[in-house]
Amino acid sequence: MYLNNVNPSVKALTILALVLILALLFDPVTPVLFTMFTVLITFLFGRFRKKYYLFYFLPFTIFAFGMFWTTIAFADPPQNPAETIVLLGWEVPEENVLVALSLSFRVMAFATLSLLFMFTTNMVEFLLSLMQQLRLPPKLAYGIMAGYRFLPMLKTEFDQIRAAHRVRGVGTESKWKRSRRFAVPLLAGAIRKAERTALAMESKGFTGSRERTFYRNLKVRGKDWLFPAGMGAVLLFFIIFSVRFGYFSWYQGQL
Amino acid sequence: MIDVKNLTLEYEEMENPVLRNVSFTIDEKESVLLLGASGSGKSTLSRCLTGLYPRELDGSMEGEVRVAGKKVDGASPGAISRHVGIVFQDPETQFCMLTAEDEVAFGLENLGTAPELMEGKVDTALEEVGLLPKKGRTITSLSGGEKQKLALACILAMRPPVIILDEPTANLDPVATDDFVALLERLKLEKDVTLFVIEHDLDPWLSITDRVLMLDREGQLFYDGPLREGIDRYAPILHEEGIAVPQTVKLAVEEGAATPPLPLTARELAGRLPVLPEVREKEDGERALLQTEKVNFKSILHAIDITLPEGSFTAVTGPNGSGKTTLCRVLAGIESPTSGRMLHSFPKKEWFKRVGYVFQNPEHQFLTDSVWAEVAYSGADEERVRHLLEWCGLWERRNLHPFTLSQGEKRRLSVATMLVEDQDLLFLDEPTFGQDARSTRRVMDLLDEKHRSGTTIVMITHDMELVEQYATRVVAMKDGEIGFDGRADELWKRDLDAFQLKRPLKVRLKEMQEGGVRVPQ
Amino acid sequence: MKNWKLKEIVVMSVLSVVFAVVYLAFLPVGKVLVGFFGPIGYDFIFGIWFIVSIIAAYIIRKPGAAFLSETIAATVEVLLGNAVGPMLIISGMIQGLGAESAFAITRYRSYTLPTLIFAGMMAGVFSFAWGYFQSGFAALAGGYVLLMFITRVLSGALLAGVAGKLLSDALAKTGVLSGFALGKEKRKKHVA
Repeated sequence: MYLNNVNPSVKALTILALVLILALLFDPVTPVLFTMFTVLITFLFGRFRKKYYLFYFLPFTIFAFGMFWTTIAFADPPQNPAETIVLLGWEVPEENVLVALSLSFRVMAFATLSLLFMFTTNMVEFLLSLMQQLRLPPKLAYGIMAGYRFLPMLKTEFDQIRAAHRVRGVGTESKWKRSRRFAVPLLAGAIRKAERTALAMESKGFTGSRERTFYRNLKVRGKDWLFPAGMGAVLLFFIIFSVRFGYFSWYQGQL
Repeated sequence: MIDVKNLTLEYEEMENPVLRNVSFTIDEKESVLLLGASGSGKSTLSRCLTGLYPRELDGSMEGEVRVAGKKVDGASPGAISRHVGIVFQDPETQFCMLTAEDEVAFGLENLGTAPELMEGKVDTALEEVGLLPKKGRTITSLSGGEKQKLALACILAMRPPVIILDEPTANLDPVATDDFVALLERLKLEKDVTLFVIEHDLDPWLSITDRVLMLDREGQLFYDGPLREGIDRYAPILHEEGIAVPQTVKLAVEEGAATPPLPLTARELAGRLPVLPEVREKEDGERALLQTEKVNFKSILHAIDITLPEGSFTAVTGPNGSGKTTLCRVLAGIESPTSGRMLHSFPKKEWFKRVGYVFQNPEHQFLTDSVWAEVAYSGADEERVRHLLEWCGLWERRNLHPFTLSQGEKRRLSVATMLVEDQDLLFLDEPTFGQDARSTRRVMDLLDEKHRSGTTIVMITHDMELVEQYATRVVAMKDGEIGFDGRADELWKRDLDAFQLKRPLKVRLKEMQEGGVRVPQ
Repeated sequence: MKNWKLKEIVVMSVLSVVFAVVYLAFLPVGKVLVGFFGPIGYDFIFGIWFIVSIIAAYIIRKPGAAFLSETIAATVEVLLGNAVGPMLIISGMIQGLGAESAFAITRYRSYTLPTLIFAGMMAGVFSFAWGYFQSGFAALAGGYVLLMFITRVLSGALLAGVAGKLLSDALAKTGVLSGFALGKEKRKKHVA
């Protein structure tokens, strides 16, 4: 049973629900454990190029780490300044460390869940599932699909325009002017292409009506529910764990 | 199958109708070629035939269009697609899915084909165009020619009786073009399809055309009949109408052998010309303007040693993906070589005042809101701007937004912006791509004039006729290396298939005559 | 979705994809500003993150354009990889709703500069309300929160409302919008 085979809508809704629950919590233990669990699950049950995962994972870690330090540095005066921890020869209040840990691992938990989805979900299947399971209008779904196809094309266009502008000796003007000069050809090209794509889709008989058949039929099978059930149970277990050891609290808007 | 009666169409934003009183009929299983310049209303006509107009038209449309006996006006888009399918010009924008099979299936899904039948139909359609081995590939990984074949497969899967092809090969290189036309030729024999091809270039389509329609710049149909008769009658004015006459006809006219019936193949022409047309040879200047030593660029270019003599006109050619554009970008200083040396005498600070580069898509280079400002951008004085605009024939259009120009005008404007500083060295990336006969001629005339006045020109092209006519030397790329570097007439003696090139007509003709091919009198 | 043309949907989705990339590019800029000015740093440039809703609504002029474009952009941001993760989709939806509410108030009849500025400001108001709940501005001093609020709303007015209009107008001049509401309006003005 691979994560890649879980119905995309079920997967997306599960992850959204998990994120919402995690957003309500504020303790250092639950997100730490859940982050580790998510990474483990992703590697055990996901099929993808592991190298790329690191490529995405690393910036998130750096971001979370930066958040950790800034939170400690800019924290409000602690209520119990006496209790301190020594970090790299720097004495900081324990309370602040806990807050910082909670915040940065909350972010890590969100990020790893998001990566789990990204790396084990095919974009086309996701949109197909949104249409087939969650009644997303085909007009919108295929419109988005067509737009998504533009991403690699935009990258090439971007590089082309940059090179073209260099040859013309651009570079002395204000930032706003320069970005406008950049945006206009990029967007104009993209809009014209989008219009042509829409035309081609309609000429193939696409009307946007719901009465269509599908080459790939995505269904929700019994085993798809294993994913939400498993993830939910583990999160619940971690929460109970955290409550038992007295770390648990609700999120009250700490920064 | 197609019945058009008194069709007149006018866009809201334009003063004159794009189509005037157009009437014609196309019978079942006929292959008809519609010829017309860009901007003559060809694409508008295709939109009428597929029912897009009047549904999406901002303007007025009169007359009647029937496809397979049904009036197109008022029919639902879904219903029309059962009768007529269309392959568009741009290979990049016809698709909405990620893989080849999904794209073919998309049309079938729209028709409501039962899921269990779908895979079989997808496979058959891909098989018909020879793409079955690439069924699961992403569309972005296909070549331009393959993309057009895929677009055709999408239509074939839906089995409409009429297939419209709107300049399907305009963005393909000559080899891919021949390949695509050969595929259509085979399908035409095997299947009961009606083909309606919209084009400005006649050459590739000679073999499969039963009948031609010719549309003038005013949007009026001026000829409807057999190909040969049409050419014989209108050859002298076709060029003015932006329609490319067959190369053979062009040559026959140049050599003074233009009496009807005009020759449509090299063989026919060979019989006409007793005197061998001399392939002209050109000489370059002595001094090297730019020279490279063992230049490498990433994994794309390997050990490039090249010399650009001052005053030369170099054509860079070779198959797609062989590194032509990268080579020119490195030479033009847009990319820096990964290793190796570039020798030149341009001061670094003034580099782009001395070296110009015209990109394949002229729009990428435009920076301002008007044609005038575009040329004036780098601070040229009024006199100079005016001179340049008059030179490239855009003076009348100086107040327009560059993006609203026609394809040919955009190209000429981008050339003009690169000549503001009187650059010594000018690179052009396929300057005639997607242009009709007349604008190709105009842009080449401009380049030729510049070359004669001393500018060194490097031009990427697939068009061997242009190479033969203008270039003093040719660089043929192959797998990131220089496969040939020398005079054009030396290249014609090599194995051209390796570079996916075709010998130009004059050379083929010469070979035919020298090889003692028996010529019908 | 019935009265939307397919080309409008595809164009909206392409705009969303383009600006998703722009949005991602501005995140590090925001972080640098936060480094300099504290939490208010984000608010200076927050308007950037509303711009697609203004542009899409101004060009297409159909109910839902602001909301949908912002939602799609946020989703694409998440799919491209973003540290905030799926929460961003919800933020995007709320920002989109903010801008959408402004157009709804005019009953989708007015697309003048004041309306667009108003829409940018509403996106700021909505997103601030959500931020207050979600990121805990409550912990900050009242005066500072007020300053953040004002900065964000102004940023929405300028970077989303005004800049969005300027960019769309520049785009309209190229003629590529002739098949869309904005292009048609310009043409009518031209004729009149």
